[in-house]
Amino acid sequence: MLNSLLATHFSLLISLITKLMVKQQEAVFRQAYPAPPYWVARFDVAYPPAPGAFVLVDLGGPLREALFPASIDADRPSTVNGFTTMLPPHHPATRLLPGTTVDMLGPLGQGFRIGDATRLLLVAETASLPPLLPLLEAAPSVALVIESPTRAQLPPTDRFPPTVELTLVTRDGSAGYLGPLESQDPAPANLERVMPRLVELIAWAECACFACSNDRYPALAALVRAARIQPVPDFAQALVQVPMPCGVGACEVCRTNTRAGEKHACIDGPVFDITSL
Amino acid sequence: MIELAPHHKFGLPIASPVMPAAGAFGFGDTYHDLVDLRVLGALVTNPVSFTPRSAARGQRIAIHGEHFVTHTGLPNPGVKRVLRQHRQLWARLPIPVIVHLIATTPAETARAAEQLSGIPNVVGIELGLVDNITPQRALNLLDAARAEGDLPVIVRIPFTGVDALAPLLVDHGADALTLIAPPRAVLPVSDTLEGSEARRYLRGRLYGPALFPLLLNILARWCSKLPVPVIACGGIASLQDAIACLELGATALQVDALLWRNPAMVQCIAEGLAAFDTSRD
Repeated sequence: MLNSLLATHFSLLISLITKLMVKQQEAVFRQAYPAPPYWVARFDVAYPPAPGAFVLVDLGGPLREALFPASIDADRPSTVNGFTTMLPPHHPATRLLPGTTVDMLGPLGQGFRIGDATRLLLVAETASLPPLLPLLEAAPSVALVIESPTRAQLPPTDRFPPTVELTLVTRDGSAGYLGPLESQDPAPANLERVMPRLVELIAWAECACFACSNDRYPALAALVRAARIQPVPDFAQALVQVPMPCGVGACEVCRTNTRAGEKHACIDGPVFDITSL
Repeated sequence: MIELAPHHKFGLPIASPVMPAAGAFGFGDTYHDLVDLRVLGALVTNPVSFTPRSAARGQRIAIHGEHFVTHTGLPNPGVKRVLRQHRQLWARLPIPVIVHLIATTPAETARAAEQLSGIPNVVGIELGLVDNITPQRALNLLDAARAEGDLPVIVRIPFTGVDALAPLLVDHGADALTLIAPPRAVLPVSDTLEGSEARRYLRGRLYGPALFPLLLNILARWCSKLPVPVIACGGIASLQDAIACLELGATALQVDALLWRNPAMVQCIAEGLAAFDTSRD
């Protein structure tokens, strides 16, 4: 009895250590297809990354490419681990042949930490939306704010689960609210600025995840502070998007300024508390 | 054992000729899950300066075809803090540690070298010289590194300075030379023009396969003329590359950007070289 208990604990410990270790693992590329404005690519791999974390894949270039999961095994049999990722058109992964084995490092980095939040707010620019997609059904109530330069670049709304409350924003006012997200300028006639709506959503949420250009995070952090007097740590998290060539903190390319000094995006992030940026 | 400092009182013996290049492997705490450290001859640390340095602002990497340049600003918390954070780890490592010191001024170099003396398992200093350094300044920096510390000093010579500096530094007491530091190059930050923005360019250290023939050219010219060990560094990407470096007279070699793309290859090179040596014996 005692032996079996010890053996169980030991195997759990080994499994935990295995999960924590950075791995060089083989992944199998399954397929890629266009889903404008992105391409979707699917990989089978033993240890897929969590939302906001990433893997580095060797696609033959001088450096590995970082891939973020856009969904993790949502429609796969549970015996096959894997993930889908969304890439820009012309990404080298879109040219792989189905069944090709590729070398992957990871999972790497610290992903989104939403805990048991029941009201989740997701905010993204169209180009950086994919890493937030695995979170669309991560809480009972999810609100998604997507900002795009213009209507034509917004992803089709029927791709999102019907339970997600969608807020569309365009910078030219051609659809939805008028952006940018953080702008307080008066809106032209017949248009409505998104900023008051965003502040309202931040006040509503129990956790907020942002995926925008890095230079916008200070202004978005100011919005968070305006909407929540003392946000708890990790209430609002931001995905920092920088090149991460090595993925383990050796090359110093991904150093990111935070209030606690410079951090490595690849090991301390790439998801940080937005108020620390 | 391979001796990297045969003329130094303590020497600098290493068990394998394969080492990571400065800036490629961190401080020993990064690749432990991916590379068996025991196959390496030594850990060459990321560059360390006497005072803390922040990361360069803006874009730090540009990729173009098979090559890329990086401009990180060589960020590090300074020698004191590096020692506070890593000396216990270094003492436990199964391989010796060579600290890569950014040579700024003679005074700072001397003080940094003094602080590195006596640190458990730190067996040498690799002195990193800036591009376009004058021979006199390089000699002053070497003197400073040797004066206050008792560790062997390896000097990493910039690509553009080999002819002027290599014989001079050896005559002046350098224990070994690392040839070469990555040359400076400029690459466009993005291959495509985005919107109406003018294309931006990044100047930094060049990595990629083009370095390797340049390295071989330098090894072929200098290894037989230098009475100290030469450590080859630059674009080594396979076991065949490593063998070529050793055949041209290098005593050991450093692997740079290959580590980021394929850390397992370092182990293959080290094990392949061990087998190659055995078969030659």
